[in-house]
Amino acid sequence: MDGEEKTCGGCEGPDAMYVKLISSDGHEFIAKREHALTSGTIKTTLGGPGQSAVNETNEVNFREIPSRVLSKVCMYFMYKVRYPNSSTEVPELPIAPEIALELLMDVSFLDWEIK
Amino acid sequence: MASFPPRVNEKEIVRSRTIGELLAPAAPFDKKCGRENWTVAFAPDGSYFAWSQGHRTVKLVPWSQCLQNFLLHGTKNVTNSSSLRLPRQNSDGGQKNKPREHIIDCGDIVWSLAFGSSVPEKQSRCVNIEWHRFRFGQDQLLLATGLNNGRIKIWDVYTGKLLLNLVDHTEVVRDLTFAPDGSLILVSASRDKTLRVWDLKDDGNMMKVLRGHQNWVYSCAFSPDSSILCSVGASKAVFLWNMDKYTMIRKLEGHHHDVVACDFSPDGALLATASYDTRVYIWDPHNGDILMEFGHLFPPPTPIFAGGANDRWVRSVSFSHDGLHVASLADDKMVRFWRIDEDYPVQVAPLSNGLCCAFSTDGSVLAAGTHDGSVYFWATPRQVPSLQHLCRMSVRRVMPTQEVQELPIPSKLLEFLSYRI
Repeated sequence: MDGEEKTCGGCEGPDAMYVKLISSDGHEFIAKREHALTSGTIKTTLGGPGQSAVNETNEVNFREIPSRVLSKVCMYFMYKVRYPNSSTEVPELPIAPEIALELLMDVSFLDWEIK
Repeated sequence: MASFPPRVNEKEIVRSRTIGELLAPAAPFDKKCGRENWTVAFAPDGSYFAWSQGHRTVKLVPWSQCLQNFLLHGTKNVTNSSSLRLPRQNSDGGQKNKPREHIIDCGDIVWSLAFGSSVPEKQSRCVNIEWHRFRFGQDQLLLATGLNNGRIKIWDVYTGKLLLNLVDHTEVVRDLTFAPDGSLILVSASRDKTLRVWDLKDDGNMMKVLRGHQNWVYSCAFSPDSSILCSVGASKAVFLWNMDKYTMIRKLEGHHHDVVACDFSPDGALLATASYDTRVYIWDPHNGDILMEFGHLFPPPTPIFAGGANDRWVRSVSFSHDGLHVASLADDKMVRFWRIDEDYPVQVAPLSNGLCCAFSTDGSVLAAGTHDGSVYFWATPRQVPSLQHLCRMSVRRVMPTQEVQELPIPSKLLEFLSYRI
């Protein structure tokens, strides 16, 4: 997590490894650019890998997505990376039913290419 | 007669990775029958694996030890090997903390097995409320064995001792299942055309007889929230029962021959049934629609052929814990792994004379029992489920299809949530 602090500065510029996702209630989530780009919507906003973004600070504001949903999305990024496809034991990622429906709709809005 | 649809190239289907085998010990006398392994089962907490070894015995092995043996000694593991007693890390001297092997002699041919735990399975609870009426001193793990003469014997898994003897069925007890909510309610399905509901917390008191089948009952399964029971049997029968009032909810029509196995998906939104008509159907249990058909014979047989001896009977079906995969065993010497959104298998494995299959508690291994009393294990196809699917399972655990249809969401999402894609 040491790199995290330095990398906030690394959220700047076209070659940044991390991007900042901001929820509707003001929470900021820092995620790897390659994970965030699996979303078609985010890709459009940020301009794809390696391209200079319209928004120079590589931030994406989600005005309709609250932190309780966005945090789960970021957790999913890490879950997906942690258990590659060849692994035989993949535990279930718990999602509370109260946010599940909202999460499902927001993921669809984000045009996620997760299969 | 092909085993796969014409557009599928059989050679391109991935072969599953074998994990191990447990071979039945050589019988002291050569008998043609009596060796069958009719059922295999994993304990709900993953601690034990049980299988009916044939010749009236059931063998219980601690599952983690078994897996370790497979890794250490290669894939073959004859059951007579000296039982290793590997104590668990946190052993504090209690009997429970040293899982031991047991061989239980049941006195009669064992047709069915089921583990029952007084601890509710996590998946059945959407909110974590523990509401046991009775709190046992230590968590009980029971093994129920259904026998040829209609008796059911209940054993304590940790000590191997006989606890209860339930006598009421007049014919073979073909399947047993415990309610997953920890209530120790046991349902037995028998060739005497009935199912019986027993309360093991009340000394095995028989609470109810479910009548309605016109012929042998082959199998039964509880929905994950314990509210619905599915029973399947001869003469194409698939019934759904309300387990609060013990009334029949509906009959599912569609199979052309005896239906011999059933299993719910972990969110209770799907029901898989296997039949001698060469097919596995995936149903929506809330409204009786058939969502998917998994064929084992191509071209698909006509109803008359399907209803007879077509050499391609499907014997067993099991849902994986990720809610995305289904395994089926058929008489064409193959185990097939399916994804619920494809109509051809994603992986296959060779298996002769398979009779029953079950996924391990964490879903990573499939165990299949055969006619000669052995068990074979394979690694299941695993992948990280999509976020959409995880959300779908979470929603469907608490919402039946009728409620889903009422949601104010776009139709594409509605279809996805109803598993109609």
